[in-house]
Amino acid sequence: MRLIFKNLNVLRSTINAISTSIEIKEIFASAGNNLPNLFDFSSFGIFWKEDLLLFLFQEDSCPPPFTQEVVKNMLKVFSTLGGESFEADRIPLQIEKRKLRPKQMMMDPKATLKSHLTLPLTVEGEILGCISLNNDQPNAFDVQDLQFLSVIGYQMAATLKHFQRFSSIKNISIYDPLTGLYNRRYIEEKLGGEAQKSFHRRTPLSLVMVDIDHFKKVNDTLGHTEGDQALCKISSLLKNSVRKKDTVARYGGEEFILILPETFLEESFVIAERIRRLVENTSFEVGKAQVNLTVSMGISNFPSHRAKSKEELIRMADQALYDAKRGGRNKVCVFTEKSAQWTIPI
Amino acid sequence: MGDKGEKGSSDLVLDLYSNLIKEIWEVVSALIGEAILTFLFILAIRKLEEKYSFLNSLKVSEEGVSLERVREDCRTVAPVEIHRGFQSLVNHLSHLFSALAEGVINKELFPKVFPKFKEAERIISQK
Repeated sequence: MRLIFKNLNVLRSTINAISTSIEIKEIFASAGNNLPNLFDFSSFGIFWKEDLLLFLFQEDSCPPPFTQEVVKNMLKVFSTLGGESFEADRIPLQIEKRKLRPKQMMMDPKATLKSHLTLPLTVEGEILGCISLNNDQPNAFDVQDLQFLSVIGYQMAATLKHFQRFSSIKNISIYDPLTGLYNRRYIEEKLGGEAQKSFHRRTPLSLVMVDIDHFKKVNDTLGHTEGDQALCKISSLLKNSVRKKDTVARYGGEEFILILPETFLEESFVIAERIRRLVENTSFEVGKAQVNLTVSMGISNFPSHRAKSKEELIRMADQALYDAKRGGRNKVCVFTEKSAQWTIPI
Repeated sequence: MGDKGEKGSSDLVLDLYSNLIKEIWEVVSALIGEAILTFLFILAIRKLEEKYSFLNSLKVSEEGVSLERVREDCRTVAPVEIHRGFQSLVNHLSHLFSALAEGVINKELFPKVFPKFKEAERIISQK
């Protein structure tokens, strides 16, 4: 009786740890820390289909062939349960080994999988993965092990589903659905952070506003579907033309924005000019037509333009973009005080 | 007369499997939980629905399995066909249980399932 209470307490704290986890690795860590107090096993595995990951928590002396057998068996059960079939060597393994047994009970290097309990991780009829307890001894698991594992699996599936939903909501809220670039909301938040960092540390920061020239013509002559295709092509060109630390977003319509952290004005001009030329020299395949496009760009920079806020940086880049448009398009313009004075009505 | 007799044994077979499925539900849901069991039932039905279309009328939810619609849909199905359909369903479930937990679930289930299979066969052979 006392043992059952002890086990129930361990089960309770395992479930609590799983339900308060904020990422899959944490779920795995809490399972790894608690499960040896509940079950006698050689290897415990979690297969998570979405990220195509297989975590294994194993006895230190677990030989590699045993590990391979465990992986194969988990994937086999997963496929029997209507999940897709995966080749074992396609799945990245994350293995954590720990001393689960006393020295005299170390596993035989030729040990094979003799018993297992494998349960699907299911939510609302959807199979998300599976969990598995494995042992090199026959008949190692009983009814109580199965009951406890099913409770743990139930909680894991619910928490993992929660992660999945959270990540898709997060994606919807930060990405532009057409181009896959960040959206305006995200970029403004990101720029706020970058600007604060730059103002505080006195490091340079450049902002580039990009607008496709005469885009209305593309929509009017080729159609809106083709227009959308052109936006996607330009988006991927922009994305592939910047550095890893830079951020590209769709600001709205045919307008894009680039945040170039730790970048002086001269450097940002070189980057913008390179992109402008690249667009000019690319023939975009849109529907059945080949289209030539050009872009106009406006640059603002901290500290060169003495902006005091992200709003000011945006306004300055927008002003420079206006100058580029007014100056004949297919141009890169840098903000100047003169142009600002020119547009502000007195 | 023949039709009446056939209906009678269909009902008997359905009663028998209704109890059997209820029993499977009670035993197995206590071991692996309702969510997984619901999933397995649906999986097994999907596997057999082409051959035994009346199994599609089983209503499976986390509250259990209801045979109400099957009774209506099986009025024209021969008792032996009903028996075979449910027998295949139970066999497939048993195969899934064994894939998941080797003998742990089936060991609990077998003593309850086996006599009812025999009973169904007896009813069919008496017809």
